[in-house]
Amino acid sequence: MRRNRALWFWVFVGPFALGLALFTYVPLLWSVALSFFDAHNTVTPTRFVGLDNYTAMLRDDAFVDSLRTFLVFTAFIVPVTYVFSLSLALMVNRVGRVRAFFRSVFFLPAACSYVVAALVWKMSLFSGVRFGLVNTVLGWFGGDPVAWLSTTEPPWYWLVIVTVRLWLQTGFYMILFLAGLQRIDPALYEAAAVDGARPGWTVLRHITLPQLRATSVAVVLLLVVNAFQAFDEFYNLLSDARGYPPYARPPLVYLYYTALGQGQNLGLGSAGAVILALVVAVVTVGQARWLRLGRTDADG
Amino acid sequence: MRGISRRALLAAGVGGGLVTACGSNTGRGGGSGPALSQWYHQYGEAGTQQAVQRYAAAYRKADVGVQWRPGDYDQQTAAALLTDSGPDVFEGSPTLDQIQGGQVVDLTDLLDGVRDDFNPAVLTPKTYEGKIWGIPQVIDMQLLYYRKSLLADAGVEPPTTLDALIDAAGKLTSGKVKGLFLGNDGGAGVLGGTPLYAAGLRLVTDDGKVGFDDPSAARTLGKLHRLHADRSLLLGAPADWSDPSAFLQGLTAMQWSGLWALPQVQKELGDDFGVLPFPKDGAHGRPSVPVGAYGAAVSARSRHKEAAKAYVKWLWVERTDYQEDFALSYGFHIPARISLAKKATELRSGAAADAVRFTTEYGYAQPLLWTPAGQTAYQDALSRIIKDGASPESELRAVVRKVSAELDRVKKKSS
Amino acid sequence: MDDALVRAGRALRLVLLIALALLFLIPFYLLVRNGLSSEQDITSPEWTFVPGELRWGNVRELFDDPSVPFARSLLNSALIAVATTLGTLLLASLAGYGLARIPYRHANKVFYGILGTLLVPAAVTFVPSFVLVSSLGWISTLRGLIVPTLFSAFACFVFRQYFLGFPRELEDAAQVDGLGYWRTYWLVVVPNARPVFAAVGTIVFLGAWNSFLWPLVIGQDQSAWTVQVALSSFTTSQVIRLHELFVAAAVSILPLLLVFLCFQRWIVAGVERSGID
Repeated sequence: MRRNRALWFWVFVGPFALGLALFTYVPLLWSVALSFFDAHNTVTPTRFVGLDNYTAMLRDDAFVDSLRTFLVFTAFIVPVTYVFSLSLALMVNRVGRVRAFFRSVFFLPAACSYVVAALVWKMSLFSGVRFGLVNTVLGWFGGDPVAWLSTTEPPWYWLVIVTVRLWLQTGFYMILFLAGLQRIDPALYEAAAVDGARPGWTVLRHITLPQLRATSVAVVLLLVVNAFQAFDEFYNLLSDARGYPPYARPPLVYLYYTALGQGQNLGLGSAGAVILALVVAVVTVGQARWLRLGRTDADG
Repeated sequence: MRGISRRALLAAGVGGGLVTACGSNTGRGGGSGPALSQWYHQYGEAGTQQAVQRYAAAYRKADVGVQWRPGDYDQQTAAALLTDSGPDVFEGSPTLDQIQGGQVVDLTDLLDGVRDDFNPAVLTPKTYEGKIWGIPQVIDMQLLYYRKSLLADAGVEPPTTLDALIDAAGKLTSGKVKGLFLGNDGGAGVLGGTPLYAAGLRLVTDDGKVGFDDPSAARTLGKLHRLHADRSLLLGAPADWSDPSAFLQGLTAMQWSGLWALPQVQKELGDDFGVLPFPKDGAHGRPSVPVGAYGAAVSARSRHKEAAKAYVKWLWVERTDYQEDFALSYGFHIPARISLAKKATELRSGAAADAVRFTTEYGYAQPLLWTPAGQTAYQDALSRIIKDGASPESELRAVVRKVSAELDRVKKKSS
Repeated sequence: MDDALVRAGRALRLVLLIALALLFLIPFYLLVRNGLSSEQDITSPEWTFVPGELRWGNVRELFDDPSVPFARSLLNSALIAVATTLGTLLLASLAGYGLARIPYRHANKVFYGILGTLLVPAAVTFVPSFVLVSSLGWISTLRGLIVPTLFSAFACFVFRQYFLGFPRELEDAAQVDGLGYWRTYWLVVVPNARPVFAAVGTIVFLGAWNSFLWPLVIGQDQSAWTVQVALSSFTTSQVIRLHELFVAAAVSILPLLLVFLCFQRWIVAGVERSGID
C-alpha cells in the first residue's frame, strides 16, 4: 500500500518536479558552478578561480551600492503598498452598491505589463518636457518643467518608479484584503458595538487587523519577494541604448549588464547572483520566522 | 505547438513587393545553397530593413534570412553567440572578449587587395593582433547640431571652445527652450570619451595604458557639471539624443546627435541649422567627434563558416553598389570605403561636407581595448560628475584603477 | 449628531474613492488620447484633453507597418498565453494535489524544494536557461517560448494550500466508492475547485501575456515575436513615433482588459476561497 502511494505521489507530482528540475535546478546549479570560474563569453569555462569572483563582487562599490538600493527600495515599497492597498480595501469594502465598480477600477492596472506602464510613465505622464502631463499641470501653477527621471537632486526618479509599482500592484493586494475582510465574522463587530467600541480606529486595531493576520502575512511575503525580483520597471524606465545610470540600479539590473550585456562576464555575474539569492533567502526566511508563517501554514 | 521554422521568417508582416519579387514564398533569398541567418540591429531610418532584405535576396550562393532585432542588440548577440542557434553573419563590434574567446571568425583574407580602401579609423578597432574580425559596414559619426536663428537671436556665436559651449547653452536657455540636449542622462552615455579627446587625451594609449590619467581630464570633465548646474541641459525628452525630434520640436537650441539624422533635420529646418564638432578644451585640446562602425562578423559557431564568409565578402567587399545604397539612401552615413566616400555627391556640400571634414580631421574611434567593464565604470563616474557634481579627481582615480585592471586582464589573455 | 458625523464620513470616503479612481484611470486615458492623436498634437506645448481630430487611422497604420508584424505578434501572444495557462494549470494542480493529499515520506522535502525556487531571482538562471533551451534546438519556436515557463512554483504552492483546505468528506466518499487517487482527482476534486483554477489561470495568463525578457531572447525570428517584443521595437528604434507607440500599447492591453473584466468575478471568488493568502 505504501509503495502504491509513493507511486501515485510521483504520478501527480512527477511531471511538475521533473520540469522544475530541468528548467530551474539545472540552470541554477550551472550558475553556481559558473561562479567559481573565469567565464568570459562562455558557459563552459575551463579556468577555475575559486572564490575570486565572490571577493571581486563584494569589493565592487557599484554592486554593494545596488544591494543597498534595493534594501532601501524594499523597506519603502513594502509598507507603502501594504498600507495603501489595505486602506483601499477598507474603503471599497464599505461603499455598498458601487463596490464592484471601484473594485474593477483599482484592479484593472494589474492587467497591464511593466512595458506598457513604463511607456506611459516615461513618455507621457512623467515626461521631462513641457508636454508631459505632470509638467503641464505644474505649468498651470507657474512651475517649470521637471525632468523627473533625470534629476538626482532631489531624487525625483523614485517618485516615478514607486508610482508605477503602486499603480500596477495595489489592486491585486486590495483584492486579497477584500477577500480577507469578507471572511471576518460580522458577529465580532456586533459584539464590539455592544461593548461600546466606537467604529473606527479601535475596531480596526482590535478586530479587523488581528482577523486579517493570515492575509497580512501572505501579502507582506508576496510584496517582499516581488520587490526582490524588481527588474522590469527599472529597466524600462531608466535604461537607454548606452546603458543605465549609476543611480536607482537594483542588483538584478546591475547583474544583467555584468553577465548578460556586452560585459558577458558570466562568472562574475553568477557570483553576484548567488550572493543576491543568499541575501533574499536570509531576509525571507528570517521574515517568515518572525511572522510565524508556520502557523498560518498549518491553519491552511 | 508546431515549431516556427526559420524558413517562415518574414513570411508574416513584410510588405509584399520586395519579398515576392524574388520569387520565393518564404521571403528568403533566391539562393539554393546553405541557409544562413544574418542579424541586424533595428535601424530607425525607414526603408533600411527592406533594403537589407533586398540585398540578401539577390545573393545566389546561399539562402540568406535576415533577422531584424529590436531591443538591446549587443546583449542579444552576446547571448546568441554562446549557442548553436545564433546568427551565422551578424553586425557587431565585435568586442575584444568575443575575439579572444574565439567566438568570431578571422576575416583577414576577405580584404586581400582592398584593405587600404577601408577607412583606417574604423578598420583599426576591428583589428586585433594583425587580423581583421569584422568588415566595417558604414561609418557613423556624431556631431553637434545648432539652430542658427536661435543663436542669432541670443547673440551667440557658434561655440569653438568648451567654455564657449557652456556659456552659449546658458544664454540660449529660456523658460520653454533649453540650450543643449546631450541625451536624457545628461550626456554621460553619448559623450563617452569625446570630452577627453577634446582635451587632447585619449581613452587608451597605443601601448595599452590608461590614456586619461592626467589632471586635465578632471578639469575638462568637471566643467560639464556647470551645464547641469546652470539648468541649460534638456532632460527627459520623449526621444533620446539619437533622434532629432527634440531639436526639431524646438525643445532645445543645440543637440548632440548622429549624422544619420541629417536628412531629417535638413528637410524640416532647411538652412536654419549648422553643425559643429565637440569643441576643444585647454591648451592641448582639439575638437573631437566620435566615429564608429558596426562590422559584419561571422560567428565561430556557424555551421557554414565558409559560406558565411563568402556572403560577407560578396555583400561588404564586392557589392559596392549596395554598400553605397546602404550608406546614403536611408539616413546619412559615410561609406566605410574611401573610394565610395569620395564619389558620394551627397556628402560634398553643406552640413554633410562639414561632417565629412570633421570625421577626417577630428574623428576618433573607441579602441578595441576599451572593454565594456571599463566603459561602465567610466560612464558611471561621468554621470556622477555631471549630475551630482561629484569630485572629478576622486571619481577618475577610481576609474583609472578599474580600467588598468581590465587592461591587465585582457593583455594577459593575448597570446 | 453621530448620524451626521457618520454621513459626512461616508461622503468623504466616496469623494476620496472617486478621486483615487480618476487617478488610477489617467494612464488608460493617456494611452487612448496619445494613441489617437497626431504626432503634432502629442508634442504640442498647448495641452488638449481630447485631440483635435481622433485619428482612428493610427490603428490601421499600426497593422500596415511593414517593419513590425503586429498582427502576427498578437496571435503569438494569444497562443502562448493560452497554452501556458492550460499547461500550468494541469501540471501545478496535479502536483499541488499530490503534495496536499497523498501521504509520502519525502513529500515535505519535495515541497520545500519547490517552494525554495520562488526565492531565486530569474536573472540568476537566465543565461544557463537560455543555453539549455537553445541546445534543445528550441530557439524561435513556440515550444521554446512555452515549455520552460510551464513549471510555476507559485501556482503549485497556491494549489497545495487550496487542496489542504478542501473538505475531505468528498474525497473520502469517493474513496469508499472505490475510486483511486486519479479518478477522485478528476471526477470529484477538479469540478469542485473551479474558483481556484480561474484565479490561478488568470494570473498565469496575465503573466504569460505580459512577460518580456524571455520572449525577447528566445523569439529571435520576427515570426516568433510576442506583442511585448513588438511593442518594445517601437521604443528602441532610433526614431520614435509616439502615436504609433501609444496606439500599439493600447491595442496590446485591449484583449487583456476584456479577459480581465469577464473573469474578474471568478478571480475574486477564487481568491476568497483559495489559499492564496
